[in-house]
Amino acid sequence: MIPITTELAGIAARVRAATVQVQGRRRGTWGSGVLWRPGVVVTNAHVVTGRSARVETADGTVHDARLLATDEGQDLALLAVSTELPPPALARDEPRVGALVVAVGNPLGLSGAVTAGIVHGRLTPRRGPPIILADLQLLPGNSGGPLADVLGRVVGVNTMMVRGLAAAIPCEVVERFVERAA
Amino acid sequence: MPASASRKTGLEQLSDDLAAAVERAAQTVVAVNGRPRIAASGVLWRAGVVVTAHHTLRREEDLTVTLADNRTVPATVAGRDGATDLAVLKLDAPGSAEFADGAVKVGHLVLQVGRTGSAGHSASLGLVGAIVGPWRTWRGGEIESLIQLDLAIHDGFSGSPLIDTSGKVVGLNTSGLGRGVALALALPVPVVNRVVDGLLAKGRIARGYLGVGLQAVEVPAALAAKFAPPARSGLIALTVDADGPAGRAGLQLGDVIVTVAGQPVADVRDLFALLGPERVGATVVLTGLRGGAPLELKVTVGERPTQ
Repeated sequence: MIPITTELAGIAARVRAATVQVQGRRRGTWGSGVLWRPGVVVTNAHVVTGRSARVETADGTVHDARLLATDEGQDLALLAVSTELPPPALARDEPRVGALVVAVGNPLGLSGAVTAGIVHGRLTPRRGPPIILADLQLLPGNSGGPLADVLGRVVGVNTMMVRGLAAAIPCEVVERFVERAA
Repeated sequence: MPASASRKTGLEQLSDDLAAAVERAAQTVVAVNGRPRIAASGVLWRAGVVVTAHHTLRREEDLTVTLADNRTVPATVAGRDGATDLAVLKLDAPGSAEFADGAVKVGHLVLQVGRTGSAGHSASLGLVGAIVGPWRTWRGGEIESLIQLDLAIHDGFSGSPLIDTSGKVVGLNTSGLGRGVALALALPVPVVNRVVDGLLAKGRIARGYLGVGLQAVEVPAALAAKFAPPARSGLIALTVDADGPAGRAGLQLGDVIVTVAGQPVADVRDLFALLGPERVGATVVLTGLRGGAPLELKVTVGERPTQ
């Protein structure tokens, strides 16, 4: 059996390959994004402030990305990026409480940084979509990046910290947004 | 490259094991509705008995407990002990927790499983950072051993079980023993059992009480020699409850206590150690200093109020 740390490094590399760095047009707004479909990147609406953004994919290429759609209420934005990179697998089921998850993003401008933890629970606000809470630390710049399970499948899009927990928009909510917008 | 169900990767197996452990333990994790806003967690420790953290119970009337199946049932307080931050509730509910056979070791992976309302259970992962003890809590409780955790503290997790990776309970989590310091601590199962036994039998854990607020002070060299063995430090009375045991015996503000029952008290902890349940009602001799002159008082030890 492959040692767990080696495995974790492999998963981190796979998730990093699908993670992009997003720079909004206004100075100082930057975050992460995840390649959702071929040529389509999902990020947080609060990361993109204009009609376009500068996106750096994992292969180091810098793209001028056009804003396709945005949903301020759900804090989601969709960008068109001309890249050949393949999108990652998406998790079909919601992760179980206690399951291991990894977050990849660009906290403090560090490209492709990985943090690991477990699924803490699910938050169902009175208004708005449900949220996955993960017991791991997100930093500014992690916004818009992927939360993935131990098979490297994306389970959600990291958004912010809520009471010391990482909040992520579940895959199915993102998928519905992408369906509507694309 | 998704692995097939038959051949899981080590990491996938670990992830599944953790989720299964959480689900197994969550069956006996309850939400205790005993304070405004967020509920605290509790464990069905024995049949019809829930253990939770004392400091989270803000009321004893209209207490309810939300079970794993989302039913909410009434509960009554069987006893509480502020010194170890434990409270025991009685209720009509099936099931009780499974406990681990051995003790946890430093470095073991552990999980907290909380329930803070009707939205299901939640979990945190960390590891055993240290096992310390015997330890005396700031409220005078004697704890044989205490588990210190390397783990993030979350709202509503006091009173939740600490479990091992198989889902068995190894301790009870509380943030109430750190005296405002954000320390993730858990009481091991044997400690909780001892207190639960006492609370179920008598409703409280009796502890000796003098009714004074004390602070350690250095005894000047010239005065230290008046004691045998010479006393380097003692406890100065900063507050005295006039109606308390020491107040009634004549202790005054500014008096310095140097020995209690023949034992030197250089620190408040030394005094706590001398005020166990067996001292309640007993008469002890206090020696010390008042304005530089020797002082001797006979005090009948009272019982520490529960709060």
